[in-house]
Amino acid sequence: MTGIALASVGAGLAAIGAGIGVGTVGAAAVQGMARQPEMAPKLQVTALIFSALIEGVALFSLVICFLQM
Amino acid sequence: MTSSVDIATNAVSAGGPVDTKIAVHDFIYEHVMYHIAEADVWNLPFVNVPQLDIFRYDGVMIAVGCLLLIFFCGFFYKPNKSVQHGWANLLEVFVLFIRNQIAIAFLGEKDGRRMAPLFCSFFFFILILNLLGLVPLFTTATGNINVTGALAAITLGFMVGGGIYRCGVKNFLLTFIPPGLPLPLKIFMAPLEFVSMISKVMALMIRLFANMLAGHIIIFSLVGLVALFGLWAAPVLALVVCVYFFEIFIAFFQAYIFTLLSAVYMGQLYRPEH
Repeated sequence: MTGIALASVGAGLAAIGAGIGVGTVGAAAVQGMARQPEMAPKLQVTALIFSALIEGVALFSLVICFLQM
Repeated sequence: MTSSVDIATNAVSAGGPVDTKIAVHDFIYEHVMYHIAEADVWNLPFVNVPQLDIFRYDGVMIAVGCLLLIFFCGFFYKPNKSVQHGWANLLEVFVLFIRNQIAIAFLGEKDGRRMAPLFCSFFFFILILNLLGLVPLFTTATGNINVTGALAAITLGFMVGGGIYRCGVKNFLLTFIPPGLPLPLKIFMAPLEFVSMISKVMALMIRLFANMLAGHIIIFSLVGLVALFGLWAAPVLALVVCVYFFEIFIAFFQAYIFTLLSAVYMGQLYRPEH
């Protein structure tokens, strides 16, 4: 059961990191769009790419948690 | 898989609360590991269904490939009509979006037009596999790491092959050496750049696989609460419906992200000066 407990804690920590990262990306994208609305489509695509990259890191840790479970 | 079904029936039928929890956990764990590792037969959780070939991963993929070929080439492709109608019109929106916003935007005009069929294949293949995974009785082929690994290997092949075809072997190898650095740092950075290329593709593989798997595990665990606690947990089914609709969004989004990142990675190697 310790393995399961530690894996759960690890999944939670990964969620914290990904949450901070995606939040930063989202805040920066919204700021940029508010300052320059004509750049909004480009900023949206870039924000999506970077949030997907961050999400990928979180999902790596998720997979490692599965392997450790 | 038979052992896990036995565990589940034991867990649902008898046993103290602690035993039940451990047994259900084992069952869920085996189901998840089975999703990750194996690809031959497939079972619904908690009930037995006849194992038909069409529900296996390869069966689903072959069916989707044939369907895409028939629909796109047979029904939708009308080269004589300049203005499409009906379903073909809907498809044209997607195809134009992929060609203009993904292929041409990241690969340039000439390469983008050439590579657009590949990205369309990626997008529709992944999208339909993702959506089929949400239909009961069908399995999520993109939730298996072998499938996404093969898709990412295609991307890697086009990155390396296309980069060599576009720039020549010498210039392709030179892209691994970042310009404007002192010589010792260049020697240090070249292997890192190579590892970075491989790890990008690995990330592509794990992103799609883990996204689809995680969504299905969420639905599976929430439904599993009903199996664990009985009818008292029935309100959680409302949450399952919400997660289900979120999964539909994720299916589109992940197909888009996979196609987009493939285009970005290919564009980095096709146009190294950029």
